[in-house]
Amino acid sequence: MSTIIQKLKGTKVHGYVLLLAMLLFFYGVFKILTPGNFGSPANLYSYLQSSIIYSVGGCGLYFIVVMGLFDFAVGANIVLSSIVGVLLSQHFGYIGFIVGCLGCGTLIGFLIGTLYNQLNVPSMIVTVGLMLILECVAVIVAGGVKQTLAPGLRFFSGAPGNIILAGLAFVLMYFILNFTKIGTYCNAIGSNEFTAKNMGINVKKYKLIGFMLLHFFVGIMAILTVSYGTTMTALTGMSTMARNFQPLMGTFFGVAFRKYGIPISAIVIGEFIISIIFNGFVALGAPTTIQNVVTGAALLAIVALTARGARGSVVK
Amino acid sequence: MDKRTLLVAEGIDKRFGITHAVNNVSLEIAAGEIRGLIGENGSGKSTFCQMLCGIYSIGEGTFTLDGEKLHIRNQVDANNAGISIIVQEMGTLSGLTVAENIYLGHEEPFMHMGVKDTRAMNREAQQILDSYGFGRIKAGTMIDHYNFEDRKLVEIVKATYMKPKILVIDETTTALSQNGRLELYKIMDAIRADGRTVIFISHDLGEVLAHTDTVSVLRDGEFIGTVNSSEVTEDDLKRLMVGREIGTAYYRTDYGQPITGEAVLSVEDVTVPGELNDISFVLHKGEILGFGGLSECGMHEVGKAIFGASWDREGKVKLADGTEINDIPTAISHSIAYASKDRDNESIILNESIRNNIVLPSLNDLASHGLLNGRKLNRFADEQAKNMQTKMQNVGQFVSDLSGGNKQKVVLARWLGKGSDILVLDSPTRGIDVKVKQAIYALMAELREQGKAIIMISEEIPELLGMADRIFIMKDGRINGEFTRSPELGEEDLIAKMV
Amino acid sequence: MEKKNNKSPEQSRLRSFLTGDKLKAALPLIGFVIIIVVMHIMTNGKILTPKKLRLLFSQIYYPTIVATGVFFIMTLGSIDFTEGSTLGVASIVVSVLSFYSIPLAIAGGILTGAAIGAINGFFHVKFRLPSFIVTICTMYLFRGVCAYFTTETAVPASNAIKSLDQDWLKITITLAVLAVAFFLFKFTRIGNDVKAVGSGETAARFSGVRTGRVKFLAFVAAGALTGLAAFVNVIKVGSITSTAGNQLETQILISLVLGGLPITGGAKVRFSNIIIGTLMYAILNSGLSILGYEPQVQQLIKGIVFLIFVALTIDRKALKVIK
Repeated sequence: MSTIIQKLKGTKVHGYVLLLAMLLFFYGVFKILTPGNFGSPANLYSYLQSSIIYSVGGCGLYFIVVMGLFDFAVGANIVLSSIVGVLLSQHFGYIGFIVGCLGCGTLIGFLIGTLYNQLNVPSMIVTVGLMLILECVAVIVAGGVKQTLAPGLRFFSGAPGNIILAGLAFVLMYFILNFTKIGTYCNAIGSNEFTAKNMGINVKKYKLIGFMLLHFFVGIMAILTVSYGTTMTALTGMSTMARNFQPLMGTFFGVAFRKYGIPISAIVIGEFIISIIFNGFVALGAPTTIQNVVTGAALLAIVALTARGARGSVVK
Repeated sequence: MDKRTLLVAEGIDKRFGITHAVNNVSLEIAAGEIRGLIGENGSGKSTFCQMLCGIYSIGEGTFTLDGEKLHIRNQVDANNAGISIIVQEMGTLSGLTVAENIYLGHEEPFMHMGVKDTRAMNREAQQILDSYGFGRIKAGTMIDHYNFEDRKLVEIVKATYMKPKILVIDETTTALSQNGRLELYKIMDAIRADGRTVIFISHDLGEVLAHTDTVSVLRDGEFIGTVNSSEVTEDDLKRLMVGREIGTAYYRTDYGQPITGEAVLSVEDVTVPGELNDISFVLHKGEILGFGGLSECGMHEVGKAIFGASWDREGKVKLADGTEINDIPTAISHSIAYASKDRDNESIILNESIRNNIVLPSLNDLASHGLLNGRKLNRFADEQAKNMQTKMQNVGQFVSDLSGGNKQKVVLARWLGKGSDILVLDSPTRGIDVKVKQAIYALMAELREQGKAIIMISEEIPELLGMADRIFIMKDGRINGEFTRSPELGEEDLIAKMV
Repeated sequence: MEKKNNKSPEQSRLRSFLTGDKLKAALPLIGFVIIIVVMHIMTNGKILTPKKLRLLFSQIYYPTIVATGVFFIMTLGSIDFTEGSTLGVASIVVSVLSFYSIPLAIAGGILTGAAIGAINGFFHVKFRLPSFIVTICTMYLFRGVCAYFTTETAVPASNAIKSLDQDWLKITITLAVLAVAFFLFKFTRIGNDVKAVGSGETAARFSGVRTGRVKFLAFVAAGALTGLAAFVNVIKVGSITSTAGNQLETQILISLVLGGLPITGGAKVRFSNIIIGTLMYAILNSGLSILGYEPQVQQLIKGIVFLIFVALTIDRKALKVIK
């Protein structure tokens, strides 16, 4: 028995066991506390449908976070891209919607990556600045009014549309990580940028690719988000900041489970766990304003457990 | 030698700002030759090779390989031209598998229309590892699972599997154990036997003479000459490197002075997980106590343990009055000074002025009623820096602008200013030119005369033999041998206890 | 690193001035003058009337107090995103306690802020998590707390505390905070310690600086000052809604960067960064609203000015790799 455990240490199975144990633990806790209005199969299915939206963004952020970069403009771009998508859908139907979201998303990714490369300023700072700017652009593009997705264009608003699209996104992510150079190079840049550069890796190019991939996934997330909620209102005042966190939590799961070789599964299951915790609290009768408190505390707990710096390392 | 010429360097030149790192160097290297390249720190040998290997761009001049002029923009270009390098530091990347590391930048053979054939890549990498006799390293595993030495072996594989025409080895041996070194020497010999060429950079002149055919010497960026390894001695090489006879007043010359019986510091059963294993010793007043060994033997941790800077230390470090040292502020306030081997990160704040670097440990002494007086701090720093003859414009200058030797002077200035009685100096002359080295040795002897106690941790055996009253040689985190200062003591005696 | 150095001495001197530290150090002041002149011309002198100036100053009391605390955090090279939510929560505490006693209200505000700062500092130091990650989490968390208490209605403050809305009081508090902070920064080892940690944390630790304690205390102090600012805020607004302190963190970040504070912290920070920065932000802010721009356009312009200033003032030498 102990030899089997020894043999499984560090393997994918080890990682999955950990993830599923966490999942069962939280499910069990809330199921015991509120057996009536929590955790029926139908409930779980609806938790999953909301959590996969964030998982898609979490996959995108993974490319950036493994390189040691950060992006606060994700939320602003979700709003902007979905508004562009909705506006285009009014003229070109599904094609306009999809192309609008993905195209606008990727274009903004290109802009962020280019600006980051040109200005030589930490990504955190560039994206805070761009978040301010993109929020305004979104308000201006939307003309200051709420944008509603036409009822005929809501294939992605529920199963199976949302699951198919999110599934495609995960498959794409798996392919990029395992069967292209991008995954290897992003990891290499995150490990040691100087050495990566000396190995002939065009660091700036791959950082740009990372930002574009991230915001391509943000574009997918925009499709799912506006389909799920059917409307989108652009607001200024850093209101989009909140949208950065749910995908980020999944990414932290992914980075933590990278060593087991299952980053994507960790992102998807991790987001599902967060969704269970939040819905568990709601089932307990907590007011919805408590959502921010729960999310903030959960995120803090996750990073405290997974992203802890090495002793003596300089952490700013 | 009338072998075929493989590499011609003509008028290679490189400046970094005002520093003329490589000055119009021209030389030729033959096929089937192991060429040593030596020079002091800052002589330009590494910069020269890094230009050849595409790490730095070439300032002026040309390299011609096999009659073809080279145009190299980065390391991959150099690899494709048949030149590869093994660097001093860690050259493998965490978060990647062994195979990904080996083929990093050379994935093309496994790419089919943008899709990577990961399985074929792992298979071929494993075959290569097996052929080197490193079969225990698995190609598909994350490199993070291997230790420093194995990762270095992966790097050697990475640099040599494609059979480069020229392999540059830049001070790699210091990072390797004896076994790893032997592996490397074997690979070097095989390359020579194959009619290819190795450029071997090392500070260990004995090693250079033993394993090279010819040796080229650089000094202050200029090419001095090439000699046949079989026809020269280490002293000849030193003379060529320095450009003059090394003065006799280099190390201490006194022998047979008794050590005082007055203990100032005792170390009792100190263990640091993964680093030190049950170390105990006593340091006396007016003594230079040397610690030597291979670089991973744990001796560098001894310095940190005494200074209260180790993590999870067990055991006791006590002063003569019984005070226990468990953290850095206590160590400093009880007159212990520490100069780290990792000077730029641990000993000085690079992006800070000389003044603030010097006053930092002494702030509590310089404050009156908790208040600091800017003019007083300036005067203090200026005095200490000038005492050490630091070359600077003024104390407001940033330390990042200074040379290695001057940085070390700032480090020593701050502790002399603090008036510390116990000095822990880890690799005090590392990366420092001969002149400053001489000054540091003189200072150490003087401090010893004043009754200060010095712990000198060093990877340079002659330095230990020349300066220390007692020498501890460490191995695997333990003290493996103790020697007392004597003119009869030789390098071989110490080495025997290291390996 | 790879440039050839074949320019004439004059050229290279000019170049070193343009790219060098001297210009960078002078840039905030130059920017300050430019912004005043531009705003003066664009608003036809409306911005410099006594009435507008009084309004302008009334906007900068509590941001200046908050910025003074954040100044220490940013000197460490860290960052804090919790000012807004801290101000919100502390303002609620001040308002509730103001019905009992004013001194109690002040103490309650400061303690609340200090407690939130302590949470930030604890997670940042003990778990060695990047400060921006910790403070984003806690910002989110305390925004939720603030929203929870203001869901039904705004939290009112007592009339006693509202009657304190006097310019002289707010000026006195602000100047006192600046004076004490300046004194600590310049004439005690606190200033040396935070700068040392900002420029080289490892070396600072090996020089006897208790780096963990310094960082923790900086966060506690910044939180406490935000708590004090909450008192000044309550005096002014009288009742607390869920939007209290919204966007304050961005405002402070932009202010300090405009003031020339290098985002990397360390040796090159100047105390004057606080004053120039908050003034510049206030002038920009009131100028843009006098000009009648809509809020989103104002935010757009602020975002652009922020990026330009960071790009011009950042000390790239201090960042080995730009992440």
